[in-house]
Amino acid sequence: MENALDLLALQPPGWGGNLLRGLLSTIQIALGAYALGLCIGFCGALGKLYGGPVLRWSLEFYTTLIRAVPELILILLLYYAGTDLLNTVRGSMGWDRVDIDGLWAGIYVIGFVQGAYSTEVFRGAMRAVSNDQVEAAKSVGMSPVMMHRRIIIPLMLPFALPGLANLWLITTKDTALLAVVGFSELALETRQAAGATKEYLLFFLAAGTLYLLLTLVSNLLFGLLEKRLRRGEARVT
Amino acid sequence: MTTSSYAIELRQLRKSFGSVEVLKDVSLAARKGEVISLIGSSGSGKSTLLRCINLLENPTAGEILLNGETLLLRKGKSGLEAANRRQAERFRSKLGMVFQSFNLWQHMTVLQNVMEGPVRVLKRTKADVHKEAVALLERVGLGEKLYAYPSQMSGGQQQRAAIARALAMQPDVMLFDEPTSALDPELVGEVLQVIRALADEGRTMLLVTHEMRFAREVSDRVIYLHNGQIEEEGTPDQLFGNPKSDRCRTFVSSIHS
Ligand SMILES: Nc1ncnc2c1ncn2[C@@H]1O[C@H](COP(=O)(O)OP(=O)(O)OP(=O)(O)O)[C@@H](O)[C@H]1O
Ligand SMILES: [Mg+2]
Repeated sequence: MENALDLLALQPPGWGGNLLRGLLSTIQIALGAYALGLCIGFCGALGKLYGGPVLRWSLEFYTTLIRAVPELILILLLYYAGTDLLNTVRGSMGWDRVDIDGLWAGIYVIGFVQGAYSTEVFRGAMRAVSNDQVEAAKSVGMSPVMMHRRIIIPLMLPFALPGLANLWLITTKDTALLAVVGFSELALETRQAAGATKEYLLFFLAAGTLYLLLTLVSNLLFGLLEKRLRRGEARVT
Repeated sequence: MTTSSYAIELRQLRKSFGSVEVLKDVSLAARKGEVISLIGSSGSGKSTLLRCINLLENPTAGEILLNGETLLLRKGKSGLEAANRRQAERFRSKLGMVFQSFNLWQHMTVLQNVMEGPVRVLKRTKADVHKEAVALLERVGLGEKLYAYPSQMSGGQQQRAAIARALAMQPDVMLFDEPTSALDPELVGEVLQVIRALADEGRTMLLVTHEMRFAREVSDRVIYLHNGQIEEEGTPDQLFGNPKSDRCRTFVSSIHS
């Protein structure tokens, strides 16, 4: 362990640079997937609350299925099946096969999974908004769209935030599952560094520390956001 | 545009919740500037009547007219629904509703609550509305509370802010549903004072209240509702001084305030 610092050095032969590049990929995928998941989740919640029977039933199927199946299997399934499907379609159009960029594939796959969870978070939060607040909006003549934009969404966010913060942390860790499809994010970079040097403990501790730092920074940011969103609420002292 | 001497008119309004008929053929018309108090025991349908006027409840049958214009209704799942959403929204914007539990938007300051409707619904410029909103809030005694959030204010202050919010829409008719019932006794006076000032300046108002003395003082006409029907109506002196129906007499004498 005396050469731990050399092993973690940013320049080769140290592996620190690889780890940081891995962390960067992890953050990129997590941000992209989370954003996609939020979009799916928000639309999904609206669909579940206001959609017709067919839409509601489809969304129920989506959220139930995704939440029932282990994420690792979903990722393998969506990644390989998704690539296959795309290439089949391309083939039938007479186009060449493509290798899907790992970053985008990761974002789509994890975003799709996250969407199911955030659909439920948003749906619950919207239902938690007091009907009094909604009736006040109706009574001044707001249209349904404006009522959502100005009243319901701002009021439901504080309810959604704890759940959404949780989902963000899960997203950052789900990215590690992409190692199985060969995408070089933090987990895969760590495994490679550890394998090459046989310093398993050192590198996995280093990776663990990076994930921990990511979590701590995230908590800080979500804490600030929550304070801002709850600014109208009674101070509890 | 039709002209009518009535600001608001209800014709043969009915409302059922499931199989229970809560309003049975209620007709009522308020002239411009008239203050009408609705009284009656709990469950007689006062709130439901008020809420049907701006379609917070869907009536089962009947007609609603604002300044002579008929609200377009069509059969829907839960009764008569707005046939033309924009018209219904326009009606609502001209009916200032004040709720028993204030219903101020919790995520906005008092000033934002008051400005929201005029800016977003009436599409007026923020600068104009700001001036008016501040003046309105000063008028209801909240000049010092412009940037307070509802949760930081007393019930009486919240209700006065809610009245200012309704007034900011420059409504043709104000609807009050027991505006002081959720307040501590010592806060009732400050809210009644604001409502009285509105009555004095000639606003058309429908007021559901249990404050009998207040109703007697400010109303032009009092309507006693029983079991979803108008059992008796008249001037305050008639209705409180010499009620014709036994039920109304019992009700009026049972409440001393
Ligand atoms: N959403 C609803 N679903 C079913 N029944 C309802 C609903 N709202 C009101 N009712 C019933 O309608 C009747 C009239 O209620 P309403 O609230 O209009 O009475 P009220 O005169 O305002 O009484 P209070 O003085 O207690 O406010 C009551 O019997 C009540 O139980
Ligand atoms: Mg009531």
